Amino acid sequence: MDASVLERLKEIVGEQYLSTREDVLLAYSMSASTGYDPVLPAAVVRPADTREVAEVLRVANEHGIPVTPRCGGSSLQGEVVPQEGGLVVDLLRLRDITLFRDLRSVRVGAGVTFAALDRYLADHDLWVPIFPESALVCTLAGNVAVNGAGPGSSRYGCIAEMVLGLEVVLADGRIVQTGTEANPDAPGPYLRYAFGPDLTGLFIGSLGTLGIITAVSLKTFRRIHHFDYNTYGFDTAGAAERFVLELKENDIGVLFASIYEGRILEFFLDMLGEEYGVPQHDWPPYTVSATIGRLREDQLASDVALARRICEDIGGHVIGITELPRGEWDDRMRTFVRSSYAHGWHWRILYHHQPPSNWHRSVEEIWAVLDEYGLLGHTAGFLSGHGSYNFYPHCYFYPTDPDEEAKVRSAHAELARRLFATGAVPFKLAPYWVAGVEEMAPYLDLLRQLKRALDPNGILNPGVLGGL
Amino acid sequence: MVDGDMEALIEELLQCRRCGICREAVYERGGFDGVCPVWENSAGFETSFMRGKMIVALALLEGRLERSAACAESLYTCTLCGNCTQICGAEFDPAHTLETVRAVLSDIPNPVRDRVTADIMAHNNPYVDDNTEKRAWTARLDFDVPTEGEVLYFVGCTAGIRVPETAIATARILHSAGIDFCVVEDEPCCGSVMMRTGAVDSAHENAARVIEAVERAGAERIVVSCAGCLKALRKDFPEALGTRLPEVVHVVGLVQQLIAEGRLTPHDTGEHLSVTYHDPCHMGRELGIYDAPREVMGALPGVELVEMATTRAAAKCCGAGGGLRSFDPGLSERIATARVNEALATGADILATACPFCVSNLQRGATGASGSVKVVDIVQLVVERLR
Repeated sequence: MDASVLERLKEIVGEQYLSTREDVLLAYSMSASTGYDPVLPAAVVRPADTREVAEVLRVANEHGIPVTPRCGGSSLQGEVVPQEGGLVVDLLRLRDITLFRDLRSVRVGAGVTFAALDRYLADHDLWVPIFPESALVCTLAGNVAVNGAGPGSSRYGCIAEMVLGLEVVLADGRIVQTGTEANPDAPGPYLRYAFGPDLTGLFIGSLGTLGIITAVSLKTFRRIHHFDYNTYGFDTAGAAERFVLELKENDIGVLFASIYEGRILEFFLDMLGEEYGVPQHDWPPYTVSATIGRLREDQLASDVALARRICEDIGGHVIGITELPRGEWDDRMRTFVRSSYAHGWHWRILYHHQPPSNWHRSVEEIWAVLDEYGLLGHTAGFLSGHGSYNFYPHCYFYPTDPDEEAKVRSAHAELARRLFATGAVPFKLAPYWVAGVEEMAPYLDLLRQLKRALDPNGILNPGVLGGL
Repeated sequence: MVDGDMEALIEELLQCRRCGICREAVYERGGFDGVCPVWENSAGFETSFMRGKMIVALALLEGRLERSAACAESLYTCTLCGNCTQICGAEFDPAHTLETVRAVLSDIPNPVRDRVTADIMAHNNPYVDDNTEKRAWTARLDFDVPTEGEVLYFVGCTAGIRVPETAIATARILHSAGIDFCVVEDEPCCGSVMMRTGAVDSAHENAARVIEAVERAGAERIVVSCAGCLKALRKDFPEALGTRLPEVVHVVGLVQQLIAEGRLTPHDTGEHLSVTYHDPCHMGRELGIYDAPREVMGALPGVELVEMATTRAAAKCCGAGGGLRSFDPGLSERIATARVNEALATGADILATACPFCVSNLQRGATGASGSVKVVDIVQLVVERLR
């Protein structure tokens, strides 16, 4: 990077918060995305606030320097792997939190993690009731940029459903506020669909390719304290799928529900069953692990009774082992980290959504591809909203075996193609989802036009969103 | 290092899948309010916390990064406090792995490590003082301390030279309980800092001096008042250096036992003190000693224990360990200040701990803190209630 550019960046963020050190660049050349090649940037800055982010982008835009925004570095599909010679903008110093109690909302800087926000809101008996599985690490802004999900999503949907507005810095350094806060006289964030088109939505899931999110305004909810944890057994995939759909249809307050195929459940319990105190059990072919939560005990009792009745009407049975869903929910900040890393393998993940009624199709394709390529892996997921189910299949490899890693990359691309054909959709438009898919051409053309309009020099996280 | 060991080390490093949980997790269920004190108190680039250090270590070992002092610097800006190990989701111990990496990469120039090691080997302490100072405090006692005996009080460099109040209090406690003890002349360093910073050969050489000193004393039991000495002598000597010593106990554990047996009876001084306790990393996370100091404080009349936001296995570090105080004194002090501020938030009158090295660094940190709190060793609270 040109010395004069570095000098200007130093003037903006201060010498302490600019680095071109070889070791530092190496550390920013990768993220939690295993199975992706590292790429060395030329510099990293850690701006203190939105104004500094804007000034940094003005400089980068002027010089055509590719910029990779980065928060927790916990994304798993290569979203923050930088461009060679590019600039990484580390946003973790943007840590303001402002509560708008009467508006039922909160505004957070791009450096605020889910866990930090949850602790802050707990003091007010509130929460943003979605917890991505990397909640201890990942920020609200980063998660909004990928439209993530996690425990809580079974009832409340993906994080997009929580967003009331965004503060975004465009490629040329302009700062744009969406939602009600676009009106500087508004008391704060209280409506996302203010002033016409959903500009907020344009940036959600855009992976930082259309602008850098520097602040997020979100809905808050009264914190739930009454929970029921249970497991429900079924002989067929269809019955398990029907059950989770009926939970939604009947407005049961299911915060987190997962369908486990028998062998997958055994795999998880072999790893962590003892740690979470799950007793030995002859598990049925399909198990639904569910946490139901309600503000009032009478609501909870009603929901629990109805869930039981639905389960039995479908031909299932209530297993009654509570430790599995309790571990998933009560330890939601860490349990998925444990289950993802306790086993030792590196992996590639292929996040996608299906309708619950199509759960079995994802499972079939995942097993088929793993078997064909001779790979180990698993698939797990959870009910993720109104009528969707989030999958996060892992394809394992050993990092010192380059042949196996190459095989995983091939299998991963093949799986994306097959899942697309089943009707699955990604919530992160990684390039492998659309490579060679002609039906997506009009959609990608529009995205391309939007990208050109907002970022004519193509500096913002190039190549990450569908290859744009 | 033989090839097999190197392969094993690289496999360890590859256990880090870079999730980043070791940076700043606010994990209330586990008692964590943040994780890495270096990340929190530095410019906060990725190399400041363990994920980045694992990346750098792997690249240095595999030759993808130049083996220079500059590229290896981040490996040493770490207190090895082990908070990352406590929260890590993988089945490995990043702090211990980093310590091994330091040893394996000891050929990379590091003037600070080399200076500290040379000082210890030349003077038997890292403070470059006349090592007779380490026993000079005994002159302030109203009883004699022999140089031989069954119970050896291994004073340690910091208590002996920098925080003699701890040594004096420890001696008075032992004397009050009727325990005859000795302190050797020219006591060697325990070598902890050399083991932490990768100076393994010198640590071995130093260990021979320690063993010789223990044998010279004729000791069958060793009492220490420093958490670093405790970890070094009790754990590192047998496990890392392959040597055996007599039983090693921390004075706080001994006091707990003596009070329980009725051999020490703390009196009410009429003073009421609100005290918060800082868990030394070497005593807590490394050796699992959390209850003894709290039980001792619980047995002191007029002392009320109020806990900080992070305690026990999730306690924040004082900033002194892992060689950081030598490698980056400013950062070490900022970490200490943050810990003192955490103590101030409890409203306590006193910040107590069980390690003179922690006391020393926390006292430095207290000068920049947001309020005033007295930093003392627990043994001082005990001895004040024995008079």
